[in-house]
Amino acid sequence: MPPSSITPSDTSSSASLNSIAEALPELLPAERPESAPQAKILLVDDEPKSLFALQELLSGLGQNLMVAQSGEEALRLALKNDFAVILLDVRMPGIDGFETARLVRGRERSRLTPIIFLTAAADEMSSMFRGYEVGAVDYLQKPVVPEILKSKVAVFVELHRKNERLRESEEKLRRLAAHLISIREEERAHIAREIHDELGQVLTGLKMEVTWLAKRLKEKPLVEKTDSMCKLIDTTVQTVRKIATGLRPEMLDDMGLIAAVGWQAKEFQKRTGIRTRAKLPPEVKLDIDVSTTMFRIFQEILTNVARHSRATRVDLDLSVAEDRVALEVVDNGVGIAESDLNGKKSLGLLGMNERALLFGGEVRITGTPGHGTRVSVSIPLRERT
Amino acid sequence: MKVIIADDHPVVRQGLRQMLALEQDLTVVGEAKNGQEVVELSRRVPWEVAVLDYNMPGKNGLELIKELRQRYPGRAVLILSMYPEDRYAVRALKAGAAGYLTKESAPEELVSAIRKVAGGGRYVTPTLGEKLALELEDNRGKPLHETLSDREYQVMWMIASGKTVRQIADELFLSPNTVSTHRTRILRKMNMKSNAELMHYAIAHHLVD
Repeated sequence: MPPSSITPSDTSSSASLNSIAEALPELLPAERPESAPQAKILLVDDEPKSLFALQELLSGLGQNLMVAQSGEEALRLALKNDFAVILLDVRMPGIDGFETARLVRGRERSRLTPIIFLTAAADEMSSMFRGYEVGAVDYLQKPVVPEILKSKVAVFVELHRKNERLRESEEKLRRLAAHLISIREEERAHIAREIHDELGQVLTGLKMEVTWLAKRLKEKPLVEKTDSMCKLIDTTVQTVRKIATGLRPEMLDDMGLIAAVGWQAKEFQKRTGIRTRAKLPPEVKLDIDVSTTMFRIFQEILTNVARHSRATRVDLDLSVAEDRVALEVVDNGVGIAESDLNGKKSLGLLGMNERALLFGGEVRITGTPGHGTRVSVSIPLRERT
Repeated sequence: MKVIIADDHPVVRQGLRQMLALEQDLTVVGEAKNGQEVVELSRRVPWEVAVLDYNMPGKNGLELIKELRQRYPGRAVLILSMYPEDRYAVRALKAGAAGYLTKESAPEELVSAIRKVAGGGRYVTPTLGEKLALELEDNRGKPLHETLSDREYQVMWMIASGKTVRQIADELFLSPNTVSTHRTRILRKMNMKSNAELMHYAIAHHLVD
């Protein structure tokens, strides 16, 4: 909520500023080191002469210098741009430098933007402390020593670059993880289908052939042979089914998330002896990708319960609202420790989070030592299909 | 009896055809390899029983059952599926199928199922019948294993899985004495005398694999 005092004001002075910029194109960044995009630097001073001097001083850095002649103007620019650093004159008519800094810092986008206050010598220490209170990063006395100013600004530009690069590489990693998850899911589904349908059906056909043969046989040893062949085929079919379901439960595709979660809960109880109670909503068709995500997270939660919790009981609650699907799984085991939540080994937990994040969802895990672990998953629904 | 068979796999159709050809009273009058073909075939030829794969390309099993039932209320649809009965059979029956068989079923079972449903009956396998009966029973009162505490349930499951007191004690970080106490209480609550009885119960109620 912009304070009402921030209104376009003093257009004449900003116009004069623009004319300065236009008149001096050669002062605007010409050479750029590497091919990195230019960092934006905001220069704020009510004195056109000082601004001009600052521009000239910093032009050698080859960055994108933007100027503002008042606090209001600076705020407006900070709303639309990410600055590597803001050079801020303390004494200005209207909103002064400190107030400007406070307002800039108050906005999410510019919350962490470094600010260097420029102040006249007379301001001395008291203003310096005032400056740090509102979150300044640095402070220079006028008249500034060119070399000091340049090197300080260069440091922030470099920091900004590194942050940008870090953000980009995080984004890339996330996209890569998402890609890998979806590829793995597709491959699993594909292999499961191939195994189940092709292999399974051939085995069925084979069994029918053997049965046909058996009906024509009279000798007992031969009939016994065909019998044992049939049994062998049956066992193989069961194995095929188990492998296929392990790769991707066919229920998820033909009956949906709710039935699949109910089935998985029963299977879990049967496999581990840990009593598992499921509270499920009436069946409803949900987006298949969201369903897969939720189902895989659920499986990961159960794996953790079986491996680490020493629980005797699991309660799960799956619910579907207009705009989201939520799952809560509570066990009565030893409770996950805070240190395990962020440990390097907790790749499984990280994986759950990443999966949920892909769909804008979240996973929250809380544990109380001795009193079990609670995992809450929530994923927004894009639209019902 | 006139039968149509549908399966997307040629081997299965061939097997079915050969098998049914051995029966004097059954005639295969047509074959289809997907849902759409079933619908067309059902209009074109006279038939009494349709033996369908649950999962064919085009239309899913449930839709197909519903559609055939709506158009031909007097005729029977029998599902022959790769999918395990415990998860799919009830749904198929609810949708109007006269019976549900998995492809592991013995061929004789299929033949007798066809005869049964052609006469207007319903066919469920003995396993499914037992399961449905158990569910009825369970609905009437709490099944015995529900009277156990969570810990007792776990110990019961381990006994039923064939584990010894020693193994159970090790796995649960309990003393063998405690495990034995649990066991005694479990047997009393469930009115049983031996581990063997427990195992039998657990298998019948699908509490273990």
